Amino acid sequence: MPSSGQGVARQNEEDLALSRRAAAGDGAAFATLVEKYERPLRAFLARMGAAEIADDIAQDAFLKAWRAARQYDGSARYSTWLTSIAWRCRLDELRRRPRVQPAPPANPGSNPDAAEVSDMLARLSENERASLVLCDGHGWTHPEAADLLGLPLGTLKSTVARAKAKCREMWSGAGNG
Amino acid sequence: MADEFDDFLAQALGPPEREADRVFVARVQSQIRLHEQLRAEGRGMLSMLAIQVLGIAAIAAAVFWLLRSPEIAAFAAESPAILLTMLLAAFSFAVLLFSTGSSPGRSRVSFSIA
Repeated sequence: MPSSGQGVARQNEEDLALSRRAAAGDGAAFATLVEKYERPLRAFLARMGAAEIADDIAQDAFLKAWRAARQYDGSARYSTWLTSIAWRCRLDELRRRPRVQPAPPANPGSNPDAAEVSDMLARLSENERASLVLCDGHGWTHPEAADLLGLPLGTLKSTVARAKAKCREMWSGAGNG
Repeated sequence: MADEFDDFLAQALGPPEREADRVFVARVQSQIRLHEQLRAEGRGMLSMLAIQVLGIAAIAAAVFWLLRSPEIAAFAAESPAILLTMLLAAFSFAVLLFSTGSSPGRSRVSFSIA
């Protein structure tokens, strides 16, 4: 049974191969990458707020990833590379549409906890929300998240801890635990 | 309590468990197709423009070179209308040739998924 590190390495190799095929114009290979990564990317963007533009940003990010497919070298996870593209797209979009506020979506869906989580996230700052969602929700490492958000590693760690403490307080205050 | 909260957080903040969204994938594919089509058309138009500029420059150079010949210069001085008609005919021919000669390139992207 392969270890987690080997699993990630094999995943990177697969994604690198797909990305190289995409760079050569293979749309089917790129569609496989879109199928693999649309779920986490759109979930992250929706959690970051402005849900009405989250899908547009994800689409824009995938188009940019297609155009830049040659630049992906497999040194980072494909999801990390793709999310960094999406993050820049999001910042551009928010600059272009200043009236769109980056507030978490009021989209509880079928999960009763979802409304509670949205409410918690709404009370966090932009960086706290992003670092918490990435590290505690999407399994990113601290260096990966620090790189994406352009924060020093120590700052990122304290941001995650602060965000978590705030959420814990709200969660306990809501009668849980 | 800490474990319970951590589990709650991981579950609540993680991506939802669901199949890939085919509609979204198709939307991305069509956007890429459109992008590639526009890019191919842009490239085709640029190369056509380059060919036309080169063609016009070649015609201008040829006319200039012809007019430097004493016989042609004398002919142009004697009957400029005939020379002008000949030049216009040559130019019209060149324009016709360019406008029917080449068409913009096509996208090289293939989206056939088994």
